[in-house]
Amino acid sequence: MQQDPHLIEQLAASNIRLLPLRPASQVMQLERLGSFHQSRLSFMRTLVRRMVAENWQVSTPIFDLDDQGYGTVVYQVEAKYGTFSFVLFSHYLDPEQRNDRVIANQWDLTMALCEGTVGPEQLDFLRTNVPKQEAGRVDSRVLVLSRANRSARTFDYVVDELAQGRQPNVDVIAEVGYLYRTTAAYGSGKLGMADWEKVRTKHRDFARPFAAEMFTCYMLRHFSMQQADYLAAQRSPETAVNLHLDIKRYLGIGNSTGLGMAPFLINHPLLINQWIEMRETALATAVVASETGVDRETMARLDMATQRVIQHLGEIITADERQSNSNVVVREELQALHLWLQEQAAELAITHYVWADLIQYAEQHWHIETQEVINSMLIELYPDLVDGLEEQMGAEESQQITPEMSVSELLAIIEDKYDWALAIDFSKHESVGAFWYRSEEKMEPRLGQTNIDMGMEKEMPLGIGRLVRECYDCIQDYSKISPSQNVAHFIIKNPTFSGIVARMQTMAQSRYGDIRENLVHSDVLPIYLLRCKLSFFGVSKFDPRSRLWVRNTMFQGAPLISDFGQAIVDDWQFPIKPVLTTQ
Amino acid sequence: MKVSKNELIASLKKAFEGLGFRSGDYQDAADMVVWLETHGFDGFERLQAALIYLNATKPIHAELVQEDTHNAVLDGRGTSILLCGSEAVDLVRSQVMLGSCAAIELFDCYNRSFIMQRLVKAAQRNYAFIAYWRQLDYCVKVSIEAGAALPEYQTFTITEVLEPQSLRVFCGTSLEAIEKQYALQLQFGTLLETYTGEEMIACYQDSLEGGIEIDEALWRTLDDLVTRVLVPSTDSSRAGAGGS
Repeated sequence: MQQDPHLIEQLAASNIRLLPLRPASQVMQLERLGSFHQSRLSFMRTLVRRMVAENWQVSTPIFDLDDQGYGTVVYQVEAKYGTFSFVLFSHYLDPEQRNDRVIANQWDLTMALCEGTVGPEQLDFLRTNVPKQEAGRVDSRVLVLSRANRSARTFDYVVDELAQGRQPNVDVIAEVGYLYRTTAAYGSGKLGMADWEKVRTKHRDFARPFAAEMFTCYMLRHFSMQQADYLAAQRSPETAVNLHLDIKRYLGIGNSTGLGMAPFLINHPLLINQWIEMRETALATAVVASETGVDRETMARLDMATQRVIQHLGEIITADERQSNSNVVVREELQALHLWLQEQAAELAITHYVWADLIQYAEQHWHIETQEVINSMLIELYPDLVDGLEEQMGAEESQQITPEMSVSELLAIIEDKYDWALAIDFSKHESVGAFWYRSEEKMEPRLGQTNIDMGMEKEMPLGIGRLVRECYDCIQDYSKISPSQNVAHFIIKNPTFSGIVARMQTMAQSRYGDIRENLVHSDVLPIYLLRCKLSFFGVSKFDPRSRLWVRNTMFQGAPLISDFGQAIVDDWQFPIKPVLTTQ
Repeated sequence: MKVSKNELIASLKKAFEGLGFRSGDYQDAADMVVWLETHGFDGFERLQAALIYLNATKPIHAELVQEDTHNAVLDGRGTSILLCGSEAVDLVRSQVMLGSCAAIELFDCYNRSFIMQRLVKAAQRNYAFIAYWRQLDYCVKVSIEAGAALPEYQTFTITEVLEPQSLRVFCGTSLEAIEKQYALQLQFGTLLETYTGEEMIACYQDSLEGGIEIDEALWRTLDDLVTRVLVPSTDSSRAGAGGS
């Protein structure tokens, strides 16, 4: 979709600080962050745009599977700037051993994304170590390590149907959405892999946050469909057919995400701030683009997107009551938006309607998740204006003390930027009713109940609000005795606060700062943290299994490798059931 | 065996936490060790020496014992720079006022080479530093210009009586300003050796490309320390991870 080039220039020239960005007090509430949906800036979206536009070439130098689908596959990827190998091992797994938890130690598939080509010696090394995952060691030629389990509900069904010459029922596919679920994708130097700094500086193809991890999941998706075709042909060569291309596009990769992801958001506040600032900048850009009014064609595109989301949400099956109710409400409200657009679009185009009014109306009348769906759709309307922001999703993550700052200035900063933390009454039992710790089992982060569960003395420092409160009280006492002293002197007297002081001083300089939630409250909902991060990954179909973990799908609706290099409209967000066409 | 930088930092942070370091301290200490190792200064050897002390005592920080407008003295109380290096560098930085430099002396402290990473990090905020200390029978001088990414590391013969476990740090807006203000205190003997920024960056690039070689016994020692921050798993705690 082409936008007015003058408008693009005008917006590009405008300083981000002039854009009507939403305030941190609104955006950084955990419930809102947990209501985000994917956007054009989500990492899967940007990766797919890049692969399609640059026409990455994927060949298969090794496809060595037996008639059960077990064996080794190596894909060679020619990206724009480099060559990579995606190495996959398919193993027999006793269904009793199939477990999506981090603590599992066997999987149907294990995978590694490697730089360059992989020779026989390296392949042997990978075959020894990759299937062990955390119990193995790899080296700096490996960028990502991952594993996946088959869907008990779809995999055999799809293969059986294809073997008998039939396409699987789309309704059955829609219930699940994938053939395999990935349960982890490790990168950034874990288990001996290449550091993120190496990936960022040496491999431009993956020099954006989580690009290599997302690519690994994309290749898993490709394999899952290729393996299904292969097994059907092995089982019944006379009758087997390949999976329909429209079903292939509709299939994604399942994902289970648990508490392991939650500490990331707290331990990388500058990065999270950057992601959110870019998303908010995209939204503000859409608002500014409408300042002279929205034309009918753009209204029509919003209406089409609205109808698509209504259908998408209606096709989600979740047993989670909160999510299910939310989906119902969001659909009803979007239906109202759709009817309004149908009835009023012509009039609105004449009267120079602006998106700021729609956003305001949604904030005043509609569910928080409806608001954020609308925001994602508005961003979608202006690809030429917002897509460039995808290059700014990284951040330098160093936190530093500003030692020359006076303690009175630090107190003022805390009162200004951390007013949300000071407003929490930590004397209440429920305000400190939970604690985070690492388990001996694979160092898995877990949430315990204060004074009930073991391990409080080994608590992880994720309760930022409480740390802020403790530090603030200490500084107040100190400033009564030494009012003219600076932060350096305060730290020498109170060295245990150096970490939280560095964090507060650093985050005070960012636009959005810390997530505004008491993460040690008894009723904390970690699932909002997971959903926030997953929205930036670009997943869809959130299916919470408890307040601690969520299932979702990745790349559902995305173009296939065979689509690379084609003129594809980048509109695969909010995937909906396909209506099969003749191939 | 080889490990990545990120992996090493993550392991060191938890290991220092296991030794009783608090948030902030364990991050800084991990950064110091990794910087020295990846820039060719035997960070692991120095860490092993530090661990003997750190394992035998609770974390101790330095105390401010004397101070005027631009000069301060800190008593390290026998602790490691891994625990008090950040405070020392922050203090001297905070004393740099318009047009004037500042100096601190830190005595009775160990593992002083680790101070280099703190100087490099603080130099990013446009402060220049010179630090020196006695190491065996020679003097180590580290200098870094304001805004520079890497220091210059030199060794000299000893010409003045230096306390064996003391460290002096000078800070200003430029090396020239420091050398001008503290000319008398910055007299060194005969230059013995210079380790340049180019050599450091080459070492760093190698570790980034191929990983960081670490002795397996040290890696196991770190693993053992990490276990101190882990909580035994129970059926109840598994439920606290979400169930399956």
